[in-house]
Parts: sequence; structure tokens; C-alpha cells
Amino acid sequence: MNDFSELENELKKLRPAPPSPELFSRVERALVDVAEENESADNVVCPDRFRVNWVSLGFGLAAAAALLIVARIEINRPGKKIPAIASLTPAPRDIAGAAAVNDRLVPAGFTQVVYNTRDEGLHFADGSDQPMRRMRYQTHETLQWHNAATGASLRVSYPSEQVELIPVSGQ
Amino acid sequence: MDDVATHKDWKVCFSSLAPGLLLFARQWLRSPADAEDVVQEAFVRFWRRNHDIGNRALLYAAVRSIALDFVRRDSRRARREADASSETAQSAEPQFEQLDDSQQPLANAVDRLPLDQREVLVMKIWDELTFAEIATALGISQNTAASRYRYALVALKKSLQPQ
Repeated sequence: MNDFSELENELKKLRPAPPSPELFSRVERALVDVAEENESADNVVCPDRFRVNWVSLGFGLAAAAALLIVARIEINRPGKKIPAIASLTPAPRDIAGAAAVNDRLVPAGFTQVVYNTRDEGLHFADGSDQPMRRMRYQTHETLQWHNAATGASLRVSYPSEQVELIPVSGQ
Repeated sequence: MDDVATHKDWKVCFSSLAPGLLLFARQWLRSPADAEDVVQEAFVRFWRRNHDIGNRALLYAAVRSIALDFVRRDSRRARREADASSETAQSAEPQFEQLDDSQQPLANAVDRLPLDQREVLVMKIWDELTFAEIATALGISQNTAASRYRYALVALKKSLQPQ
């Protein structure tokens, strides 16, 4: 690094432009506001955090409800489709019913290809006291359905982007 | 945080840190007013959360994060900033104070550095962060930080050599 010591010294001689006096007064006002907020918010749970929790709870409940519906469909399907005796003495009506069940598109596959991952560094999420590392994933997702009776298949592909916030411990 | 606004510590801290933070923020925001907004928000947020002011990596990460969000929030503003950054250095307001004729080429060369090299250079030269701190602030390895710094110096040296 000795090759650059002279250049480094020249760089250090450049003085960054100082902040305007107005910035000092603005920061001072902001800190006063913060101090007043802290006084008025003593022993009160931050409402932002409540809101975030409610949103999370809402999403959680919605996801759980969707899961239950899907699970119930999966549980019910085998009972309707193939009664125990049907495999030995299938009645014509049962065959038609089974065919009807088979004659529809059923999910056949899901692929997710992550083609770009970007580390966006440390961020402070609103309402969070801790910095978080923000990772942005760009993916290409493909859903496939297949109809066993007709051989038809359906494929839907779409790009998607996911952002993941990873908590980072302070140093 | 009691009586924080009348506490003199913040002024001491801010006086020493603000010039470097503003220079750092100006990489994304050519307007000094916008850069001051970002630095104000980062510093107040940092102070409010009682983070250790010695943890400069975190403070720089906050400035970077807020500056990038600031640019993303308003696409028109982003386009304007991009246009501004593509203009010549003379059109932007000076980022260094009282340059003499011999210093102007160096300041211009710093301004022309690629963003990833410039941000490392600013943190290293004017704020004397270690490569470990720079790596933490930018989410890169120490080796990458050191490499970018070296590339920046090489580029500066090359641009200052007579053609």
C-alpha cells in the first residue's frame, strides 16, 4: 500500500463540505421531538409493533385456514373416489364417478428457480430496533397441472421476487 | 435519552461525523439538501435507538439504507438523480470545500469512480473506518472491501497521470 501513500495523503487533504448550520437545528428539533415522544410513550407499547403483530397474525390465520381447507379436500378425496369394495365389483355408476374425479386437472408439479440473489446490506425496518440484512431473490416459478384422463396438461410460469429480512446482531 | 436535545454530546458526535456522512450520502443523492435529509434521518434514528455511536459501520449502513430507500421511493427523483450523476462534475454542487487548482482534478477523479469503489474510498479515507467496519456496513467481505479500495486508488492514480 506504500505505492499509494502519497495519493492517500492528497485525498485526506480534500475536506468534505461541512453540513449547513440549518441541519444542526433540524437535528436538534428532531431529537427534541424524539425525547418528547419517549416521555409521552413511557410504559406504552409501541403502536407500530401492535399493528405489525396484527398484520402478521392475520396472515397467519389466513394461511392456517387455507391449509385446513386444502387438508380437508385431500382427506375427503380418497373416500369418494375409491370405496373399498369398488376395486372388486365396480358398479357402472362408481366407474363414472371415478372417471369424473380423474377427468380433471390435478397439480403435478411446482418448480422455483432462483436466478438472482442480491444482498442489499443492512437496513432498519420500520419499528425495528435492530438492523436486518435484506436479501432480494428473483425467481421464476412454474406450476403444472395434469389431467390423467385426457392427457391434457397446463403449465403457468411467472417471475417473482422475494425479499427476506435476516436479523443481524449488533456489535 | 433524558434531556437529549440539550445534551452536548450529540453535537460533538454530529460535528465530527456529518461531513463524512454527507459525502457518503452524496454518492446516491447529488442534491446536498436531499443528502442532509438522509443524514438527519439516519443520525436521529441511530441516536434514538441508543446505538453505540462508536459503531460507525452501523451508522454508515443506516445512511446507505435510507439513501437507497429515498431513491427508490420516487422513481422520478431517481431518474433525476441518475441524470444528474451522468452530468459533468462541474454541474453538481461541490462535495469538497475550498479546492485549489491542484486539488480539483483529484476531486473530479473521485467523483468519476464507480459507486462500489467510491463508497469504500469515502469510508476509508475521510472516516477512517477499518476494512472490517466497511465490510460490515456494505455486507461484503473484508477482502472485497480491501480490493475495491485498491482498485479505487489505482483508478485515481491512472486518471491523474498526464496523457
